Amino acid sequence: MSLLAEKDKKYLEDLFEKELENNVKLIFFYDDDNAEYCDLESQLLDELRELSEKIVVEKYPKNSEKGSEYNIEFAPALLLTLEDSKDRGVRFYGVPSGHEFATLIQDIVTFGKDARPQLSEETVAKLMELDKPIRISVFVTPTCPYCPKAALTAHSLALASDKIIAEVIEANEISDLSEQFGVSSVPHIAVNRNPDKFFVGAFPEPQFLQQLLELSE
Amino acid sequence: MGLFDIGSMSAEVKEYYDIVIIGAGPAGLTAAIYARRAGLTVLVIEKAIEGGAVTQTHIVENWPGEISIEGQILGQKFADHAKHFGAEIHYAFAQKVTAEREYKIVEFDNGSTVKCKVLIIATGTEPRKLGVPGESEFRGKGVTYCAACDGYLFKDKDVVVIGGGDSACDESHFLAKIVNSVTMIQNLPYLTAAKVLQERILNDPKIKVVTNHVVKEIRGNKKVEEIVITHNETNEETVIKTDGVFIYVGLLPKTEIVKDVVTMNDYGYIITDENMETNVPGIYAVGDIRIKSLRQIVTATADGAIAVEHAAKKYL
Repeated sequence: MSLLAEKDKKYLEDLFEKELENNVKLIFFYDDDNAEYCDLESQLLDELRELSEKIVVEKYPKNSEKGSEYNIEFAPALLLTLEDSKDRGVRFYGVPSGHEFATLIQDIVTFGKDARPQLSEETVAKLMELDKPIRISVFVTPTCPYCPKAALTAHSLALASDKIIAEVIEANEISDLSEQFGVSSVPHIAVNRNPDKFFVGAFPEPQFLQQLLELSE
Repeated sequence: MGLFDIGSMSAEVKEYYDIVIIGAGPAGLTAAIYARRAGLTVLVIEKAIEGGAVTQTHIVENWPGEISIEGQILGQKFADHAKHFGAEIHYAFAQKVTAEREYKIVEFDNGSTVKCKVLIIATGTEPRKLGVPGESEFRGKGVTYCAACDGYLFKDKDVVVIGGGDSACDESHFLAKIVNSVTMIQNLPYLTAAKVLQERILNDPKIKVVTNHVVKEIRGNKKVEEIVITHNETNEETVIKTDGVFIYVGLLPKTEIVKDVVTMNDYGYIITDENMETNVPGIYAVGDIRIKSLRQIVTATADGAIAVEHAAKKYL
């Protein structure tokens, strides 16, 4: 049975046709643990690939050479890249389902335009000054309407700076990590994988960046 | 919401629209429907989800024609309706509004802007804070304001819900399906929710209601562990062990974006005339954000319709 509704497929087909200027690569990692979620996401990616010839899907076991190359820690994992497979720091741990599916689609559209994020000049200028790496972990749930904005902002920042990795983590699926980080309200944005350095809630771009920079110091 | 929801896909923003609406809740979306049917170009700006706060409501039972409908489905129907007639929805934070003669300009959080002749503010409300020690300290560590977002993070745990109104009762009912137990704390001697909601709560074996108590403090180490409540008359303190605190103690208007632009009352609600127009010509306010006696979906949608009918004749 198809995961995507026919009318959604039609919408996405038109959207990809209109918006994608170049190929977008979705690199997927699976594992025997979390097999149910891995199978679900695998099927979802197959359905997406059917909707545009510009969408390229690659699948690897988490414990593989590719998995180590991209430093994949959990499965299911999804990495978005351009044709060159270069890691741009944009990833999902756990299935991008519910409201988070829109984040994936928005990411695909952004990558389909040469992976250029739409950020303000002030934000880009501040990112240029970064001198050390930052890892942003955005914990989300599929039923959280405020989460896509936080997830997209994090991914945009990663695209704008090669110092930033932004991982969107489904809190229920990757439960060990979310428990370790004490996630009880989403979006929960942890900085540099430090459980004590986090903020909660959806914020406009300037405030998101400001909190991120303060917590990363 | 489906398993894979494409509701929140952004429209590409053009330079100009006849009407720009901030907020995609029932009021804003109804305004969009009326505007599109009048042949006007419309952009709706939304920071979270199309359908607005109603999508966070578990069940709605007072929207005529729907005896009982999940809030997220009703909200989605409003959005689908508006998009069916060609309304565009853009997902971003509107950060700033400026009025220059006949044009209004809205700035987004990424610095880009959009211009319009008529601006409709439909930003609604946000949860009121309880204002007790521990509340902000444990935000994100067990204190939350969104059962739909965070409910499943408390699966099989014990939670308290603060409040006794419609939202508190509706969300307690929702949470009881997920968590081990719900204890409702209400400051008044009785619940204030609609009678049908109260009955649902009182008949649910997983929900316990404690009335006539106020919350004094939320305590814990790294995360919430207990709350302290005091009896209104005896001042006797009781400690309740809990994993989570869901707060539903009323709403506050979200008027940050127009606070220096339009006139508001002392509580922050926008003042409008009977056509929903503010003191600034061409800027309207609709729904929960304006001064009114009843904040409901039915009154919000009515506001949206009235505003557009008036604006179309006067400015477009």
